[in-house]
Amino acid sequence: MDISEKIIESTNEIFSSMVMMELAVNGEIRDCMEPLTNSITGVIGLAGTHKGVLAIHFPITVALAITSSFLGMDVDEMNEDVEDAVGELANMLGGSVKSILSAKGRDIELSLPSVISGENYDFQPTREVDRVVIPFKCDAGEFSVELELEK
Amino acid sequence: MGKNVLLVDDSSTMRKIIGRSLRQAGIEFDNIFEAADGLEALEILDKEKVDIVLSDINMPNMDGISFLKEKATRESVKNIPVLMISTETGDDIIGEAKALGALGAIKKPFTPDKVNEVLGPLL
Repeated sequence: MDISEKIIESTNEIFSSMVMMELAVNGEIRDCMEPLTNSITGVIGLAGTHKGVLAIHFPITVALAITSSFLGMDVDEMNEDVEDAVGELANMLGGSVKSILSAKGRDIELSLPSVISGENYDFQPTREVDRVVIPFKCDAGEFSVELELEK
Repeated sequence: MGKNVLLVDDSSTMRKIIGRSLRQAGIEFDNIFEAADGLEALEILDKEKVDIVLSDINMPNMDGISFLKEKATRESVKNIPVLMISTETGDDIIGEAKALGALGAIKKPFTPDKVNEVLGPLL
């Protein structure tokens, strides 16, 4: 099983068990990202034997719906709950990626999650990386998960 | 007299979800205390009666491993049981947590059934 399949499996597990939403892969896995519009991104850094970032990108409307489902309460505007929920989703995905890359867990360190949001921004690596961008769709809309690992 | 739990996680979302999962699993506590890191957790342990701690590992200020080390040095709280709830499930890290007194670990993501399966027998 390659790492893209493991990320798909982990994302499905997180959404079905904790967000209470079913997912499907929405098109082909890519190695590039278009600039993001009215979106929020949760990011986790990986350091150690593998260096890189794991990111999950949501349009704001999708992030609000996912946070509502995650918390079991209506969330209709951007606030700390949305940022915290997106960061925690990135954190759980980062943990899954870490367990894929490091079975014992000591040779890769995870950063704390960070969140970026805005009307227009671009999320691009500054070094040469192996990059997979996986598009998903759920009842709330479309989003993507990406992993960048330094070559 | 009922039991009290302390949830330690830097994510307020995750603390809410753990609390919800406890209720969904049918595990009732009289009080659910919350802390955002190990330092806050130690302050609460000093002030409140806590029967069990559910703690994340990867946190700012004082992480879960450092929390276990510090707690073990404090006579009044060292015997309060701790269960880790974390994305960190590597054998080395969980082994270190257990060596420092943690009873076990629940991997994030989790379901209420999983919480009940691991936590239920400890109560």
